[in-house]
Amino acid sequence: MAWLRTPPEARGQIAAIAKVRWQLFVNSLRSLHGRLELVSRGFIGLGFAFAGFGGGFGLGSAAWFFVSSGRAEWLALLLWPVFMFWQLFPLLATAFTDNFDSSNLLRFPLSYPSFFLIRLAYGSLDPATALGSLWLTGIALGIGYARPQLLPWAALVLAAFAVLNILIGRMIFAWVERWLARRRTREILGVVFFLILISFQFLGPLVNHFGKGSPPAAGHIVSQLLPLERLLPPGLAAAAIAQAMRAEFAAAFGAFLLLGAYGVVIGWLLHLRLRAQYRGENLNEAVARSTSRNGKSAIRPGWKLPGFPASVAAIFEKEFRYLSRSGPMLFTMIMPVVVLLIFRLTPSSSGNADAFLVRAPDLAFPAGAAYALLVLTNLVYNNFGADAAGIQFFFAAPVRFREILLAKNLAHAAVLALETILVWLAVCFVFRRPSLDVTLATLAGLFFALLVNLTVGNLLSLASPKKIDFGTFGRQRASNTTVFASFGVQIAVFVLAALTLLAARRHGEIWLATLIFLALAAIAAAAYALLLSRADQMALARRETLIAELSRA
Amino acid sequence: MTATAISTEHLTRRFGDLLAVDDVNLRVASGQFFGFLGPNGAGKSTTIKMLTGLLAPSAGRIEILGLGLAENPVEVKRQIGVVPEGMALFGRLTGAEYLNFAGRMYGLDRETAAKRASELLDFMQLADQPQTLVTDYSHGMQKKLALAAAVIHNPKILFLDEPFEGVDAIASGTLKAMLQRMITHGATIFLTSHVLEIVERLCSHVAIIHRGKLVAQGSLEELRAGVEAQAAGALAANAAPGATAIPSGEKLTLEQIFLRIVGGAPAAEQELSWLG
Repeated sequence: MAWLRTPPEARGQIAAIAKVRWQLFVNSLRSLHGRLELVSRGFIGLGFAFAGFGGGFGLGSAAWFFVSSGRAEWLALLLWPVFMFWQLFPLLATAFTDNFDSSNLLRFPLSYPSFFLIRLAYGSLDPATALGSLWLTGIALGIGYARPQLLPWAALVLAAFAVLNILIGRMIFAWVERWLARRRTREILGVVFFLILISFQFLGPLVNHFGKGSPPAAGHIVSQLLPLERLLPPGLAAAAIAQAMRAEFAAAFGAFLLLGAYGVVIGWLLHLRLRAQYRGENLNEAVARSTSRNGKSAIRPGWKLPGFPASVAAIFEKEFRYLSRSGPMLFTMIMPVVVLLIFRLTPSSSGNADAFLVRAPDLAFPAGAAYALLVLTNLVYNNFGADAAGIQFFFAAPVRFREILLAKNLAHAAVLALETILVWLAVCFVFRRPSLDVTLATLAGLFFALLVNLTVGNLLSLASPKKIDFGTFGRQRASNTTVFASFGVQIAVFVLAALTLLAARRHGEIWLATLIFLALAAIAAAAYALLLSRADQMALARRETLIAELSRA
Repeated sequence: MTATAISTEHLTRRFGDLLAVDDVNLRVASGQFFGFLGPNGAGKSTTIKMLTGLLAPSAGRIEILGLGLAENPVEVKRQIGVVPEGMALFGRLTGAEYLNFAGRMYGLDRETAAKRASELLDFMQLADQPQTLVTDYSHGMQKKLALAAAVIHNPKILFLDEPFEGVDAIASGTLKAMLQRMITHGATIFLTSHVLEIVERLCSHVAIIHRGKLVAQGSLEELRAGVEAQAAGALAANAAPGATAIPSGEKLTLEQIFLRIVGGAPAAEQELSWLG
């Protein structure tokens, strides 16, 4: 472990980096955007604090119950969710993580151990680590309350488990970032990631199906999986504590050593990646040098959008080309159909919320359409994020911003229309053909929700832009302000639409919902038109922030 | 009398307490190849951003081809081409798609945009990688593509912010050939550059900005004559400490003119005594 011996100047360097991070934060507060971000972070932080302390208390109580009732092995039931959350949350909720880009540090005379420690420490400052640590503290306190003499050992095991979680998280990020650096592997990774997500969605219905259908078979599967589970980190940590409680110290120490061995292997995998980065690995994609020229290149004319100016058609085409080059985004487009399939697989007798659509198939189309709208959120709330430095082109070109926004909105509306058709076909196939009144009410509701989302999306895209970097992982794709505001809008719209639809359904007058949605859509359309008419002034007033935020390296 | 392509009146831009551009009155005649020079942080990029509508002035007026930029932003932008500092490219389009897109954004019909995009790709020697995304282009290729996009609508004025920065000799030659061709056909080019040799070779007129103020403006000969007269005057009056004579018969280079106007005093001996 000679490579981990830190040189004498390392402490000063780490302190300097901590200071510069603090200064960056303080300087960010100079702008209104930065102050808004801080407020949003405050609210999000409150939510996380609630989840952290509440979860810690709940998990601690459960740990107390398991240990005091002599079933310490069951601690694995608590450690597995903590482990899964710790590893999956940063991947699923990149909006809440801000991965530290340490590549700029390489120009300084930083030793490898310092570089390793900095990557480990600053990369771990995320909500998953904070929540995971709070929950493990809760579990440790619960164990200590039930068996005070077990607390030191349990604290040591859980601390090792926490370090292992941090190492695994950093290792996954480091490797995923390496794969994301190249477009081809990025697309493959996106598809794989998406397929994993879908398989997770199917897990619930499948477990439900097998669990209800043949309990002995399910029990057999579980009994076969248990030995494997005990060899994995959460099972090992639980076993180390349980065996110590039963005074089987050798076995407990063995489990702890195995946990440590995992740490060494994961640390070594992380070391492989970070060492390559430290040595100046460059994964940029270079263009192959061509030696022959094939004469004049023929270029097909751009798309035509009847009734709209050429600039709107050009931006519309550009948006679709961008979308077609984002594999993961394309895959999320079929998510609504997948979700309908998941709902269909859930047995109606299970009493779960999932089975709701099986009992009320007329609501399948509204539910699928609502999910389709949710998928669109990724696109509409940070309209210019993917354009990056291209935003300057929009300001330099002889085009009004209202046309730019209109073109982008048209593209997004076309995507939603396409998705809605897919959902309708899926509902016909998986459930039953939606009745005409439900179809009309859903379309009217969707129209209203789309207009609201586009209006607020345009506003936030201008007010709180964030550059989307396709080559990095774990960096936010929207600002905190946008994430926070879009959540609020989505919740408000969904609650309003669901209440309207359910009330109309209860009275057996679905057409009433159509009327209400159309009236709401008219108000939303007026707001949309008003915002569009002011888009030019707003964009001009915000041009410096937009260019600075989106063009930054 | 030559028509004015670009003019500014009392153009000013503040960033908080910093006066980045201070009361600049600029005149660029149509058909000129105009170099806008200045040391780092002098206000060059800020000025070019204001002239192209990428940044709002704090005060003052900008006229492009006789039209007020503030009142007619769209009409002005229709007649100019811009290669800004960040090149303003859309990374996830191919070169052909980007040029096609740019052409249509500048109001060309579909067929013309496609035809010109094809010709520009050939001229810039970028046609070999039709499927390559702009984000995967080298820096030089991106510069060439940005210039191609800026000229696709045949602008009357072309604004270039550091067009030769990070560009190799071959790409630089291609860029220069295109710019010379535009000048021959009557276009006006306004460029900022740190490479004074290139400016001297290409530009007919030059302006120098220093600490936000326009300190010199005119043809190279006018600037040279002004500096020589100033040096002679200073020597005669023995007023300027450190004033040096210009050897008779020696023609001042742009770099020498620039240094004499802006002042590039060598650092004092006692400074950075620890270095080396």
